[in-house]
Amino acid sequence: MAIQLQQVSYTYADRSMWRQTALHGINLNIAKGSLTGIAGATGSGKSTLLQLFNGILKPTEGTVQVLDVTITAGEKSPKLLPLRRRVGLVFQFPEQQMFEDTVEKDICFGPLNFGFTLEEAKERARKAMTDMGLDLALLERNPFRLSGGQMRKAAIASVLAMDPDIVVLDEPTATLDPVSRAELIALLERLCREQGRTIIIVTHRMDELLPYADSWALLKGGELAFQGSGQELAADPAILERCGLTIPQSLRYWQAVSTRFGLGTEKPLLTAEALAERIAAVLEERKNAAGTEEMGSGHE
Amino acid sequence: MNQANIETKSGTEPAVIVLEGVSFGYDPEHPILHDINVSIPQGQWLSIVGPNGCGKSTLVKLLNALLPKSAGLISVCGHTLQEETIQSIRQCIGMVFQNPDNQFIGQTVEEDILFGLEGLCLPYEEMKERLDYYTGKLGIDHLLSKHPGELSGGQKQRVAIASILAMKPGIVIFDEASSMLDEGSRDELMGILRDMQAEGSYTILLITHDADEILASDRVLALHGGSIAADVSPAELFRDAELLERCHLREPYTWRLARELQSRGITVDVPASEKELIDTLWPYNYSK
Repeated sequence: MAIQLQQVSYTYADRSMWRQTALHGINLNIAKGSLTGIAGATGSGKSTLLQLFNGILKPTEGTVQVLDVTITAGEKSPKLLPLRRRVGLVFQFPEQQMFEDTVEKDICFGPLNFGFTLEEAKERARKAMTDMGLDLALLERNPFRLSGGQMRKAAIASVLAMDPDIVVLDEPTATLDPVSRAELIALLERLCREQGRTIIIVTHRMDELLPYADSWALLKGGELAFQGSGQELAADPAILERCGLTIPQSLRYWQAVSTRFGLGTEKPLLTAEALAERIAAVLEERKNAAGTEEMGSGHE
Repeated sequence: MNQANIETKSGTEPAVIVLEGVSFGYDPEHPILHDINVSIPQGQWLSIVGPNGCGKSTLVKLLNALLPKSAGLISVCGHTLQEETIQSIRQCIGMVFQNPDNQFIGQTVEEDILFGLEGLCLPYEEMKERLDYYTGKLGIDHLLSKHPGELSGGQKQRVAIASILAMKPGIVIFDEASSMLDEGSRDELMGILRDMQAEGSYTILLITHDADEILASDRVLALHGGSIAADVSPAELFRDAELLERCHLREPYTWRLARELQSRGITVDVPASEKELIDTLWPYNYSK
């Protein structure tokens, strides 16, 4: 397991008047090399959960185990530097993590801190920029002079440049244009499938992640309401509504089509292309079946 | 707002926003926006779309002089933008930024929303009424005593939206203000905007990448490389594959599904619901 949470609760401002429990008794397992989606209504604890994954927040109760580091509530925590190097976290708002006066310095900051030479760091920065589809000319730009979408891509590049084993992203596709969004998801999927990295993505756009995610975790009011595969989710999409989420269109259409044509046992087809292809095939099969009875007719 | 001064440019409604030959750049050699000409009638709902970095946010920031234009003429609500009119122009524009942290002022949600209303010198009852109404509409009435730091990203976005809508500005500008909201909340927000538009007193500018939001609007302004690439209706945009590609956009799921089916010889219209699709496919299945 890459990440294992046992009975984890987290309370903000514990021991103060303003204490507020964001997570209650979470038990969660995320397998190494898997691509996991996390969804839930606004304020359900998604961002809090992510910050437990690299020790930015420490559990108020329970045990968080990430790779070979274990953080237990109430105990002195181990050194977190190795953990931070191996778990890259991309925040919800890119302004929250950019601080240098050029994009290049910002991206090199991580690798330099983790002991790479300036040359290596710069090389990594260029590679990460290219992976994110950013023009290398932007390396010289002040990060705060980038557009919102470019800034988000640069923030993701700065995390990828550290070459983490686990990449955790908090709504990475918000404010990206749809083509960039699809490219980012494809890049993350490649990192997962080809390099065996563990990818965890919080998203409000389940549609774009559903075709790729191995497993899903759904939060509701700080509790884990569901953990399972996309297929399990497709079999019972009502769980989403119980979590205060709308059932994504791709899932609704798959469900309607698979019910009507009796495809319930097949792997869900969650892109428009795949669904259209399957519908065409089903219609063709039925046409042929009808055609054998009534030779020649039914042909256009 | 001086009604008499509003220029009538196009359509039946007077134009509330007019841009003529507007350019902007930090460096004259590399303009970020170049020779923008557009006229937006009162009451219109306009989507501004285009790839990341094409100048969408810059364009709307020019309107209320958050950024100074380099050339051209800007007129908002009958005021030609110049030093003396900035104040009056800002009063008719309400802008929700991409990152809600950029617009929090109050120590609590309630204070934050009231701050704008106090600035309008409204009577207490009126402020209270608007506070209750908009926090209720956006589902944040239980958060009134919270510090903005205690809120999640999506909750912050709702507070920012409520604080702007409560001021009832004639022109509402959302810079990807729904990017952190889930689909259900986004639909609710679209409903609020639709109601506002039906009242007729609001002009709405939405910077967005979301196909459903674009579909809800009257008109789409597509930017590309700092110029206007297209000024079309949402349906025209989604039918134009080349334009979609150039603007880094995708059509709504249902449009895509219909197109994919059509390309496989199955004639269907864009379905309004999954039931409608099934109903279309079912007789097809037997009649052919």
